[in-house]
Amino acid sequence: MAKEPVRVLVTGAAGQIGYALVPMIARGVMLGADQPVILHMLDIPPAAEALNGVKMELVDAAFPLLKGVVATTDVVEACTGVNIAVMVGGFPRKEGMERKDVMSKNVSIYKSQASALEQHAAPNCKVLVVANPANTNALILKEFAPSIPAKNITCLTRLDHNRALGQISEKLNVQVSDVKNVIIWGNHSSTQYPDVNHATVKTPSAEKPVRELVKDDAWLNGEFITTVQQRGAAIIKARKLSSALSAASAACDHIRDWVLGTPEGTWVSMGVYSDGLYNAPAGVIYSFPVTCRNGEWTIVQGLVIDEFSRKKLDLTGAELTEEKELAYSCLS
Amino acid sequence: MAKEPVRVLVTGAAGQIGYALVPMIARGVMLGADQPVILHMLDIPPAAEALNGVKMELVDAAFPLLKGVVATTDAVEACTGVNVAVMVGGFPRKEGMERKDVMSKNVSIYKSQASALEQHAAPNCKVLVVANPANTNALILKEFAPSIPAKNITCLTRLDHNRALGQISEKLNVQVSDVKNVIIWGNHSSTQYPDVNHATVMTPSGEKPVRELVKDDAWLNGEFITTVQQRGAAIIKARKLSSALSAASAACDHIRDWVLGTPEGTWVSMGVYSDGSYNAPAGVIYSFPVTCKNGEWTIVQGLAIDEFSRKKLDLTGVELTEEKELAYSCLS
Repeated sequence: MAKEPVRVLVTGAAGQIGYALVPMIARGVMLGADQPVILHMLDIPPAAEALNGVKMELVDAAFPLLKGVVATTDVVEACTGVNIAVMVGGFPRKEGMERKDVMSKNVSIYKSQASALEQHAAPNCKVLVVANPANTNALILKEFAPSIPAKNITCLTRLDHNRALGQISEKLNVQVSDVKNVIIWGNHSSTQYPDVNHATVKTPSAEKPVRELVKDDAWLNGEFITTVQQRGAAIIKARKLSSALSAASAACDHIRDWVLGTPEGTWVSMGVYSDGLYNAPAGVIYSFPVTCRNGEWTIVQGLVIDEFSRKKLDLTGAELTEEKELAYSCLS
Repeated sequence: MAKEPVRVLVTGAAGQIGYALVPMIARGVMLGADQPVILHMLDIPPAAEALNGVKMELVDAAFPLLKGVVATTDAVEACTGVNVAVMVGGFPRKEGMERKDVMSKNVSIYKSQASALEQHAAPNCKVLVVANPANTNALILKEFAPSIPAKNITCLTRLDHNRALGQISEKLNVQVSDVKNVIIWGNHSSTQYPDVNHATVMTPSGEKPVRELVKDDAWLNGEFITTVQQRGAAIIKARKLSSALSAASAACDHIRDWVLGTPEGTWVSMGVYSDGSYNAPAGVIYSFPVTCKNGEWTIVQGLAIDEFSRKKLDLTGVELTEEKELAYSCLS
């Protein structure tokens, strides 16, 4: 007996990440090969024709799992009945814009989308914010959608997590599927802290710590970190466009693991509402290591944080606190 | 015990279709969720940096099934050991170019890629040509790679086939997965013939012919046909870019059904080397209805062709014969 369709919203759906993401959702990458989906796609009126073009292509692809497509510029129609919301739409930084300007534009957007989601989404809707500044956009959304449980509002650091796995796999010349349990702490920005202190690699003999196999602390504490932090810029330099393919793929991984559960012995990184664990500031969206089960995430507790890591966790936490203040100043 | 990886080549991989296609391949959409792959990506030197950007993103996505990536501007390196080749690269028509100019450029490209494939691909490599003029590019490739069995060289009309299924599903307001057995005859061009005379829809009371359910022969013989024929232009008009998402998805469907087999009672459309079945011209790549089993396609024989259809089949056949002559004239 076929499952009932799940409604998945993608905002900013006419853009590059949306175009990479929607075929992944329609093929079952996000929710499983046996889970029918109905796609809700939202974008702004200037993008209406392009958005309709995406809808046409989704029809043209004859996806067996895709049981409907709603393409709209109306946020209420977009949010109605959705079980999952992937917020890709936001105001990108343009040349000459100050940080406060970008923040101000996005705060407005996320405040208004918060209302729409709160009033029209299905109960227990899971939200993933992708658009930057992801953590703070997610925080604003949380603040203005008080009836959505805080635990249901997350932001994407899985891209950074996957990038970290990829860098380790290339350094050690191993399959990326044999590397696990890196952590991305904090903000999805250049202050994020990619931490390998608990990461392992599956070898023919056993699981070994990454640090032991890499044997290069200088690299792990230096170039590895900056490479992951700045990878977005490196992609833009190479492609002249930002990383749509890998961001879309990470969004699918984030939702899939959240809904279907993380594999035994494996955790992932998610930006979630902080309650102060690991001395991260409470009341911001901070990326932690989490396991997922029965549709719920749980922060992995008890991991040892060395001095070097402590400073990094605090630095990114301080930035998130500043961003929160900046965001709130835009609201007054 | 995990399967040995399959090597899949994508040419023109730095372009729009390539960018949509490679994550699909890396997720198992093309060859199955249990089939590891190694991607070979080829593009021309001006696109080398962008191509490397795509490789970086593939690493960043940490795809479990992706066991290696070769990104190169060298056709020999690209073709070495490949089991599946998806030829997306070609010379696009630019404003002011005559048909002969486009043909001439592409004939050169496909002649040289034919040699590289023939000399370096794995035995029994399956080839799918996507770049337009798809049928004639595939024919040139076949002519200049004589040691590749003709049956292994195909072109993509699955996009048109899927588009036809989508149009019927929208007209009847049914799920596209309940519509089957449309046929795309002939050339992947505006002379293609989308034929529903043998197509059916699964209803609660059984499979019914499309014509019987639609009850609108004027539409089926008129607007339906032109909509499918001109859908590419409609997508460009809406998106200002051509149909990468749906073309990539169709390429995956084409290869998957070829390799893994078509479902019982279902056929698909593939551009294949014509043996003169249905009085199509022999010696061109012509789209037929086919079933697939054990990695081989077989033309569905014995379908009744009415007078209206006969004219359409002949028209597109004539165009293919003309294209063949034009292509050969470019070679002398």
